[in-house]
Parts: sequence; structure tokens; C-alpha cells
Amino acid sequence: MATAQVSEAEKVYILHGIREDLRVDGRGCEDYRHMEIETDVVSNTDGSAKVTLGHTAVLVGIKAEIGKPRPMIPNEGYLEFFVDCSANATPEFEGRGGEELGTEISNTLYKVFNNKHSVDLQSLCISPGEHCWVLYVDVLLLQCDGNLYDATSVAIKAALFSTKIPRVHISTDDEGGKEIELSDDPYDCMRIQVENVPCIVTLCKVGHRHVVDATLQEKACSVASLIISVTHKGTVTCTRKVGGGSLDPESVFEMTEAGKRVGKALHAPLMKLLQHEESLGRKTPKVGFLG
Amino acid sequence: MLKSKTFVKKTRSGGVMKIVREHYLRDDIWCGSEVCTGCKQESTVLQKDACIESNLCSYPHYLIPDTNVVLHQIDVLEDPVIRNVIILQTVLQEVRHRSAPIYKRVKDMIHEKEKHFYTFTNEHHRETFIEREPGETANDRNDRAIRVSAKWYSQHLKPFEADTEGLKVVLLTNDLRNKQTAEESGFRMSSATVFIISGEEYIKSLIANPELVDRLALSNDEKVTNEITSSKLLYPEHLPLSRIQAGIKSGSFLQGTFRASRDNYLEATVFVQGEGEDGTEVLLQGLQNLNRAVHQDVVAVQLLPRNQWVAPSSVVLQDEGAAKDDNVDEEEEENTLKESATESVRKPTGKVVGIIKRNWRPFCGMLNVSQIKESTRHLFTPADRRIPRIRIETRQAATLAGQRIMVAIDGWPKDSRYPNGHFVRSLGSAGEKETEEEVLLLEHDVPHQAFSQAVLSFLPKMPWAITPEEMAKRMDLRHLTVCSVDPPGCTDIDDALHCRELENGNLEVGVHIADVSHFIRPGNALDKEAANRGTTVYLCGKRIDMVPELLSSNLCSLRSNVERLAFSCIWEMNHKAEILSTKFTKSIINSKASLTYAEAQMRIDDTSMNDEITTSLRGLNKLAKILKRQRIEKGALTLSSLEVRFHMDSETHDPIELQTKELMETNSMVEEFMLLANISVAQKIYDEFSECALLRKHPAPPPSNYDILLKAAKSKNVEIHTDSAKALADSLDGARVKDFPYFNTLLRILATRCMMQAVYFCSGMDSDFHHYGLASPIYTHFTSPIRRYADIIVHRLLAVAIGADSTYADLMDKHKQSALCNNLNYRHKMAQYAQRSSVAFHTQLFFKSRGILNEEGFVLFVRKNAIIVLIPKFGLEGTVFFDSKDKTAPNIVFDEEGPTLTVEQHTFHIFDKVKVTISLDASNIQHQKIRMALTEPVIPGVSVPVPDVEPQAKKPKLDR
Amino acid sequence: MAGLELLSDQGYRLDGRKATELRKVQARMGVFAQADGSAYLEQGNTRALAVVYGPHEMRGSRSRTLHDRAAINCQYSMATFSTAERKRRPHGDRKSTEMSLHLKQTFEAAIMTQLYPRSQIDIYVKILQSDGGNYSVCVNAATLAVIDAGIPMRDYVCACSVGFVDETPLADLCYAEESVSSLSVALLPRGGQIALLQMDARLHQDHLEALMEAAMTACKGVSKVLDEVVRQHLQEAAVLNVCP
Repeated sequence: MATAQVSEAEKVYILHGIREDLRVDGRGCEDYRHMEIETDVVSNTDGSAKVTLGHTAVLVGIKAEIGKPRPMIPNEGYLEFFVDCSANATPEFEGRGGEELGTEISNTLYKVFNNKHSVDLQSLCISPGEHCWVLYVDVLLLQCDGNLYDATSVAIKAALFSTKIPRVHISTDDEGGKEIELSDDPYDCMRIQVENVPCIVTLCKVGHRHVVDATLQEKACSVASLIISVTHKGTVTCTRKVGGGSLDPESVFEMTEAGKRVGKALHAPLMKLLQHEESLGRKTPKVGFLG
Repeated sequence: MLKSKTFVKKTRSGGVMKIVREHYLRDDIWCGSEVCTGCKQESTVLQKDACIESNLCSYPHYLIPDTNVVLHQIDVLEDPVIRNVIILQTVLQEVRHRSAPIYKRVKDMIHEKEKHFYTFTNEHHRETFIEREPGETANDRNDRAIRVSAKWYSQHLKPFEADTEGLKVVLLTNDLRNKQTAEESGFRMSSATVFIISGEEYIKSLIANPELVDRLALSNDEKVTNEITSSKLLYPEHLPLSRIQAGIKSGSFLQGTFRASRDNYLEATVFVQGEGEDGTEVLLQGLQNLNRAVHQDVVAVQLLPRNQWVAPSSVVLQDEGAAKDDNVDEEEEENTLKESATESVRKPTGKVVGIIKRNWRPFCGMLNVSQIKESTRHLFTPADRRIPRIRIETRQAATLAGQRIMVAIDGWPKDSRYPNGHFVRSLGSAGEKETEEEVLLLEHDVPHQAFSQAVLSFLPKMPWAITPEEMAKRMDLRHLTVCSVDPPGCTDIDDALHCRELENGNLEVGVHIADVSHFIRPGNALDKEAANRGTTVYLCGKRIDMVPELLSSNLCSLRSNVERLAFSCIWEMNHKAEILSTKFTKSIINSKASLTYAEAQMRIDDTSMNDEITTSLRGLNKLAKILKRQRIEKGALTLSSLEVRFHMDSETHDPIELQTKELMETNSMVEEFMLLANISVAQKIYDEFSECALLRKHPAPPPSNYDILLKAAKSKNVEIHTDSAKALADSLDGARVKDFPYFNTLLRILATRCMMQAVYFCSGMDSDFHHYGLASPIYTHFTSPIRRYADIIVHRLLAVAIGADSTYADLMDKHKQSALCNNLNYRHKMAQYAQRSSVAFHTQLFFKSRGILNEEGFVLFVRKNAIIVLIPKFGLEGTVFFDSKDKTAPNIVFDEEGPTLTVEQHTFHIFDKVKVTISLDASNIQHQKIRMALTEPVIPGVSVPVPDVEPQAKKPKLDR
Repeated sequence: MAGLELLSDQGYRLDGRKATELRKVQARMGVFAQADGSAYLEQGNTRALAVVYGPHEMRGSRSRTLHDRAAINCQYSMATFSTAERKRRPHGDRKSTEMSLHLKQTFEAAIMTQLYPRSQIDIYVKILQSDGGNYSVCVNAATLAVIDAGIPMRDYVCACSVGFVDETPLADLCYAEESVSSLSVALLPRGGQIALLQMDARLHQDHLEALMEAAMTACKGVSKVLDEVVRQHLQEAAVLNVCP
């Protein structure tokens, strides 16, 4: 895991600041850093988004493939997650160094996103029991400066929003054999409802208080954090405690409340931004990494 | 330069792959017009004075045809009158996608300078590129792209209108909808200089060329209005391609090449390529089941249930007579087919459900002028009997009657008995030798135009002499007593031989082959032309050269007493003809004599002659006999086919005498050494280039091919073994019947018909190299580079192998070589067919002047309603029919097992000796036929009386 | 009809380029703050991100330490969504390992490693989107990242692929064109030295010279673009420093 070395004096400085609701970079405890979102950055994916949160940078690409539905749920499609902690983010990830973190994040992503309450999985079904869409959600960590979960979840939501799945229909021939036919019109595609897709808010317990969107330094001062996924209505769909330390029930409760508040407030501007970008259409050139 | 307005083009293939391609738009694509001063082009294609006289367009104009106009009216576009045409990239791409042959023709036109065809790369031009819009189909988008480009052109050229007497752009489209859209979108309003005209209207308006109208292909809308529409649909609908592909995938349909029967227009087979080498054949019977497929089309067939399977009919049936009404009941015609056949001979039978790829080409043939005088619709009968008759529209029927013409098919609607087509060009009067030769060459796709200037420019400059540098590189063999032995009148001598005794008592034998690859260098126009022609084609009294005459009959030809470059293969042998060493070298020879087979034979036989040439020949002959014996012991086959030779009148070039070719010892002597050289070279090039050696193989025939041979032999109580080539050769040797000396030859003729075609192939693409007929594990062609292109490649390979020349890329590319082999195999097959047709035509000419002859012959095959008779004297085969339309049919019983045919009381077996009259039936000028009628045995009501004309006194010599 | 027409009679390629034209090259240096050097480069639809860490002391096993120069450590990987068909693993497969090795060799030839004995320089490249010429794009991106890190090099390393169609060399192949026999060259343009040369398909020797010639010209074209990017970047950085 990408970590920062923090001296004792620095630690005290950070702790004291947070106690006063004033963080090193000037934010309050429930403030996010500057966030940039851009969708459709990788043209050969069906949906993609790039999110930068402070120095943390995440790129998500979604590819839709036709697969077979899971036997237990024949009328639903499903999502697959893969998190690539590349060596670009930090030399520690070189070789197999990033695998552990990648698996940890992707397991959480499965829990948060791969259920019918978050994504309308039934709309991904093509013919029950035979064909369905499988969305491969690939997360690429480009730079780590803390709060990977939040950045990743926002990027996934944005990427899902921008995903265009080609429209298909099933034709049946005389012998009853089924054939999948792709629509001839490249503009004819299916979109994914992202309204109910939750965002993850990570709260770090620092001293007696907790902060959202912790930087690496702040994280180094924290003993444990809580991950909460929240929908636009403020419903909590998943919580998880991560990190080595322990939390008392009271602060878990407090942190959940704070998470709900922050998470709920995150959705509206995000959707507004995404819709604005969509309305610009293809006329404005993509900035990508060149900006 | 690079105006990079990048955007992505998405195409999805297969499952759900999203493919993104870049597409650059440029502003350095010029308009190609002479009048334009704005474009910085180096050369222009479109002329300033672009006049095609037309009623509709009285001003100079450039034509922009849309895709459908190009696809359907290609014959019109090819006319020299049509010039200054802009072919848009969009159109070119669509054409490429839809029809490879037409694409090639368009490209040829573009390359032709006089046509002034310009390709405008509109898809990459910044101002003419358009993106597909939501809800727009790919076709609509392309139509729009064409309109946008046309508009661009007109605006682009507008400033120059004054200087050019009002130069305009004319968009040709047959698509009513496209035309309407163009007009609706204010096309004409916004730019008064673009005119949209349908292809037909335009061509009809051409003042100078009324005959061009005939070449118009019928367009869809015209068909609907003009067609004699019958209430009944004659044919089942063809399935769309998607259904066909799904069906093929699921196994319910089979894909194969449609092969119409030559003898029966209601019957065809579809050859389905199976896994590996074997394929299956599906039988089709009846017009409904043939369902508008034309010979060589790739079709999808569906098998019928087993109880509807039928046996191939042995009936010979031709579609003759006046045009049948579309709604006439076919049942009558087809009844003849429905005969009960025993279960065993039934074959998988099916019906055509769809066409995957049409393989139409222009067909040669003649017009059956309609009985109705005023009619402009006529039936056209192709020369190739496998092609159905075609209905065309022409106003020049009176002129075209009696001429050989070419016609192209445009389409075959499901309510029309015949396909619709249009006139392409006339070849000349039927029956004239030049016309018939032209037809023959066209029908067999033999390239026979004169060599172009580009090709001739690569010939050596005359006077030619061997340079000292060349001399230094080669082995000087001028001192050897080399001579050549060929058929009389041969001017393209590829091979010469020598044999001498060495000091150690062994013999040195040399085969010297013309060094054609010295003159034809890889990749130049001369080489490409030769590669395309593939082979020299020999017709009766005419030769269509593969390489220009200067090479074929002079510089490469190993004539006597001149110094010539050669590629030599030299062996050291002992007197038992065992090879002790082999050497290949480029050399210089000086042939001492060019002999004919007969002359060489005379020298060998004449004991009084003892000169060097003769001793050399005797040595060769002695070795050849040993080699032949060894070869036969290994199981090589000696087969037989009768080849005929015409003696031509030197003035008229008409055949005056017909003779079967006689084989002499010297024929076989030359052949033996050629085989030896070919095998030695094959081994050498394969050792050196295991991946890209060009070899020749002859696959063993499948056992079922021998059925007819076995049955025939059995009828004479002779047993033939076909387990191996050796067994076959041995049993053929032993097959003799008392008092029937010709039996063995007949049997060998039958055996020849059972064989497979030998083919060229590239060693890297195949694993089976065996040559069945020669019983050799490896074989190639090395000895006739003047007349076969394969030999040139082999020469090049061998030259590299011995370090005498360098390689080039294509020589080492097994895929390119494999493609070359396919062409060579095709050309060889076609050359053979052309040769046979030529012989048939000359045979007809011969009999035309002879009247009716009465000759002895043998039954070669027995059919359901006919016997096929071979006349050994003329090497002529003909059919004697027992049922004819005008007479009441005799009582005929056909026995499949024999096979025998009983007509009234007489039973015909294979090999029966019969006597027939031979005459020329010129009633159908297109298909003049040799007609045979039975005179002996006498069957009342069937046989004809012996004609009064005394047959020529000469008795045919049957045994040899 | 077999396949695509890679070069039309009018001399245009599938995407509208002429035979010798490169794709559009765009690049930016210093995309990430945390790394010592970073660069993003796109050549048409092939996009790569390169970051450089170092020179720093040897990480992990000391046995790899070189006493007279710096050790170059490269890792090449491809994003799982970078290809038309999704990749299962981003790195560690045979092809990526080979690419990593090639990159290492290329940069060992270019970086003045003798200035940093006993240290290590990490170069990590990631293909974000792949449309042919992956190797060349990586080299070009990595060159910019190394420059961004301020590590001295003998010269820019510029790479380009060339292919051979209809007797014509095509520069900078896109994916659809990579089916032909192609050649990748990494060049140090000033001295005309070749840092890497690789050819995977069969090609007749007669054509090699023409192809090499075309490759060198293409590489020089790339170097011009890279040089512009560097100068632009320096100017921006200088302006920022002057008036913060």
C-alpha cells in the first residue's frame, strides 16, 4: 500500500489542526479536495472516465461483452471488476506488488456495485439463461495520494453513466436456433441507469475526530477508517471498517452519520456535471491527459 | 500538409468488439481537372474539353456515376465514347465490396489514359467528408456523400465556367429515391450546375451512339413496368444472406459451387467442399430446384428428405426452340426426368435456397431472333451449354442475327423464365474461322491480345549477341554434339539433348533447356504478362504465345547452328542407366541439328549412318529404353488418348486431312529424358527451398472413379486391379482379348478418363507430393520454359540454388506462389479445353467438305438413351441417339449394371463394334454438331441405310 | 476479396495518410506531480503514459547494483481495456516481459548511466489505448518522461514502425496495417545510431534497405515533434517560474 512517512512532529501538527477543523491544506473535516472528472477518455472502450482527486488519479474503462448469465440468476447480467495498481502509481506496485491492494479494492467494489439495487442488472439480460451483457469494469490507478475508494467509486459511476452498449436483438431462424444480431446503426445503443449507483465515502479517524478524503499524510496519522457506500437518497448500502486499529461503536455511529451527509451531497453535483458534459456532445474536444 | 481533424470511426465486427480507427481529413486532395487553377496538382486527368454529345447535356460535362450505375452499367462506361468521369472513393469502395470483377474493370478503366477517369478521394477530403447521422443507414450515408461531393465539384468548378463554355457536373443515378432526395434538398436550386440524371436517360440521350442503348442493363424500376408479368411466381424466393449464413452455420444448408450439367439443362450438381480434400456432390433437378442459379455461382443448397432423392438422369436434354412463356407449365419438360431409379444409385438431392455469390461474366453466343418482327426482346443462346438462355433487348436484332455476340446477365427476377441481360459487343459472323477462334478463346478465358508496348519494351534489343561477361559466367558447351528432336514445324524449341562416352567408359547425358529466365526478369511487365498467361495455347493452325515471338521463336528457341543460352542438367550414367552424378549449370550451347521425331528415328534405324549426331541419338535411345523399363517397373502408367493432327491447306488453312498422331520410339526417348530432368530438378529445388518449391503432383483417383473401367473390363471377362498404380499398370498390360487387338487401347482410353488432374502447388502449402501417373515421389516442370510459366519459376529457383542468380521477395513468399499456382492450374485447364474445342471445330470443318461417311467404331460408353461411339480412324467421339423428337421412340431398356442398352432386339455393350454414318449437322449454326447414325448392326426403324457415297477405300489401321 | 486495401492507387492509406506520413503526435510532459518525471504521449489512437522514478538508491536486492553506472529498470504494461478485445492481465505475460526488456536495452543505450553509479532508474510505461506501434509509442513517451525527470541522455530516443506494402514502405503503422511485415526502429537521431531494431515477419533482403531508410526518416520526424514538445514545456515552466 502506498504510504507516506510522517515524523512525530508532523503528526502532532496534523492532529492538532484537525481538532480545530482545519486541515493542513486548509480544508475543513468534511471537505473534499479539488476533483476533476472527464468521461469518454478512452475511445475503444464502451464507457470510460478519468477522475483526479488532489494528486490521486484513477482511470476506469468499461467494456461490454456478451456472456452467459449466472445459473442462479438467469435473467440478469453482471459486472466484473478488476483493479490494476500499476507501477506508474508507485514503484512499490512493480511486479506483483499491487495485487493485494487491487484484490482488496475490487472485492469491495463487487459488494457495492454488483447488485440489482445499484445497477439495473435485468436490463443487461439479452435472452434469459442464454445471453447477457457482462460489463468488465477495469480500474487503473495512475497516482496514489490517499482516498482511493472514493475516487474509484466516483469514476465508476461516471464511467457507467457514459457507457453505451450496442443494441442487439435476437432473431430466431426456422430451426429455432437463436442468433444475436447487432444493430446496424452505431447511434442505436443502450444506456445504463446510474441514478441508484452509490458513491463510497471513506472516513478516517484521526485523533478524536474523523475526516473525509484523507491525504496520505493524514492517513498515516489515522488508526482506522470506515468505508460507507451511500446512494443519492442517503441510503447506506454497505459499510466496512478498514485499517489496523480499532473503533468504538459510538464513533462508528457518528462516522456513519457524517458519511451519509457527505455522500448524499456528493451525488447531485456529480450528476449535474455528467449531464452537462453529455449535453456538450462530441463537439468539444476531449482534454484527456493533454490538458 | 496533414490537416488532422481526427475523429473515430466505429465498426463492430463479430461479437461486440469495438474497433476505433483514425480517419484523417486533408486539404491537399485536388480535383483533377485541367480547367482548375486553384488546385496545386502536378498532373490532371479530366479534360477541359469534355464533350460527349448528348441531347440532355449540350455543354461540356463531367460525369459522376453512383455505385449502382457503375455496378450495372459497367459495359456502357467501358465504351470509348464515355470519357471524363469522376469515380468517387465512396463509389469505388462500395463496388469493391459488392463485386470483385467489376472493381477490377473499373480500376482498369482508371488506369487507361484515354478514358480520363479520375478517382476523387472524397472520404478524406476536408470539405466532402460527412459523418453518418443518427438514424441514417449506411447506404443513405453513402448516397449523401456522393451528393455532397457532386455539389462540391460543381461549386469548385463554377469560377471557371466562363472559360469552358459552361462546364458542368452531371450526377448519374438510377435510384429514384436518391434522385428525389437530391432534388428535394434543393440540390438543383442551390447550385444550378449539378444535374441529376438517371443512367438510362443519359445514355439514351447520347447522339452519336444509338447502339449504346442496347448495352444498358435493365434497371429495377424498368423491369417492374415492362416485364411480361405473370401472375405466378416461377421460382421460390432466394433467402437473404443472413439467413443463409445462419443456415450454413447450423448445418441445415450447404455451401458450394453450382455446376450446371452440359447435357441436361434441368440438372446440375453443387460441389460442396468438405473437410480436407474430399467434397460431396449434391444433385439438383428441375428448374424450381435449380432456382435461377447459373453455372459457377456460389450457392446455398438445402438437402431434400431422403425419399425424394433421385439418381442423375442419363438423358440428354437441351433447352431448345422458341422462348417459352413464363407461365408455361414446366411439368411437361420435367416429366422426362422423373424415372424411378433403384435405391442404390440415388444421390443426395437438394434445392437452391439462396445465392451467396454470382459469378457472371459476359457470355459468347448467338441471338435467337424473336418471331415477332417488331419485338425488341430476343432470346440469346450462349455457346456454353451450361449457361441458360438469356433474354435481351435490342433494336439491332436484324444485324446481329447470324453473328456471334457477347451478352452480360443483369439479373434474374423470380417471375421470369430466363435471366435478363444486355448486349455487350459483336464478335463477327458465326461460322467464320476468325470469329469462332475468338469465341473459343473468350469462352476459355485465354488472354490473346497482342503484347502491349510496355511488355515489348522489356525485350532485348536486336541485334542480340551473347556478351563476353555472360560468356564468362557460363559453362561453354558449344563443342558438344547437341541436337533437338521435336514435332515437325516446331519453332519454339525448348529442349535439346546430347550423349557422349566419357574416358572412364561411363556416359554423359545432357538435357539443355532454353534459358528463358535470363530474358524475363522478375516483376517487370513482360514477366507479369507471362505469369498471367501462364501457358502457350496451341490451337489447330494457331499458337497463342505466352512470351513475345522474338523470344519464343528466336532468342530462346534452341535452333541449330546458332549460339544460344541454356540451362543444362548433366548426368553421368553407367550403361545400366544408373545416375552417378548430377550437375546443373547455366551454359552456352550450339545445337548441331534440329530434327523431327521421324528424322531422328530414321537416323537411329539407318545402320549406315555413323556420324556424331546419330551415335549420340543411339546412346540416348538405349538409355531411354532402360529408364522407361525401370519406370514402368516402379508402377508408372502408360495411358492412351487419341490425338489427332490436321493437315492444313497452306492457302486456306482449312483442314484437308485428319490423322491420329503416331508415336515413335524417339517420342518416348525425348520424353524419358525430360521426365528425368524434371524429377532431378524437383528434388534439387525442394532440398534447397522446402517451403517455396514449385512442384507438380498428380493425386491418386478415388476408387469410385474406376467403376466404369471395371464394369467395362468385366464385360469382356478381363479383371483390372486398381489398388495401386502398379497393379493398374500390370493389369492393363495383361488385358488382351483374342481377335480384338484394339481392346487394350480402348481400355487405356477409359483408364485415362478415370484419372485426376495433375496440378502445380507450392511445397510449403501441401504435404502430399506424389505423382501417381509417373509413380514418382516428387515432380515438377523444368523443361518447357518457353511455353509454360511454371518452368520459369522453377528455373529461377534452380538458378538461386546453384548460385547463378539471386532471389526476389515474391519467389520466397509461399502465399504468393500458391496464388500463382492457382492461376497456372486454371490457365492450363482452360488451355486444354480450348485446344479440344479447336480440334472439334476443325473436325467439323473437315466433315463439312466430306459429306456423309460410313465408318467403323467402338462403343465407348452406354447412356440411357444413347451410345457414345469412338471412331479410331479420326480419334472422333460422337453420340448416337435412339430417341428423337420427330420419330416415335423405339423400345429402349437400359441396364445400369452392365451397363448395357437394349434397343428393340439388339443389346449394346461397351466395346461393341458398330458402323455409323458421320455427317455434319449444320442446322444450328451455333452448335454445329457431328451427327452419327447407326448403320450396323441393322435394327429396323432405328438404323439408317448405308449412304450411297462410297467411303474412302483406306481401311483404318487399328492396331499399333 | 481478401482483406483491406492498405494502400489505394491514389496513394492513400486506410486512414487517409500518405505512405510516409506519421500519425498525429501529441504529448504532454509532467502529467503527474508525485513521480520524478512523467509524460503522456499519443500517436493517433495509441496512447501511452510513462513515469520515471530516480535516480535513487537500489531498491530490493542489492545484487543487481552496478558499480560503474545506474541500473535501468523498466516495466511495460497494458491497461486491460486498451485493446479491442479485453486483456486478462495487464502485465507479466510473455509479450510484456519482452517489451520491458526491449525498453531497458533501448534506454541503456541512451541514458548516460555512468553519471549515477550504484543507483537505479525506474521507467514505467502503460499503454492506455492500443492501435499499433505500441513499442514505438512507449519509447517516445518514456523519452519525454526521462527528460522531464532531468536525467541526462545522449540524445532523444525516437522510435517508429514501418511496414512494406505493394513495394512501398509505410511509416507509423496503425493496428490494421500491422498485418504486413513490419520493422520497428529506435533511433538516436543526431548521430544516426540505432538503439533497437526489430523485425518479426519475413521480408526479402532486397527490401530491407528501403525499409530502414523509411524508418530512419520517420524517426527523425518523430524527434522533431518531441523536441517541440520539450521546448514548449520548458517555456511554460519558465513562465510559471517568472511570474508565480
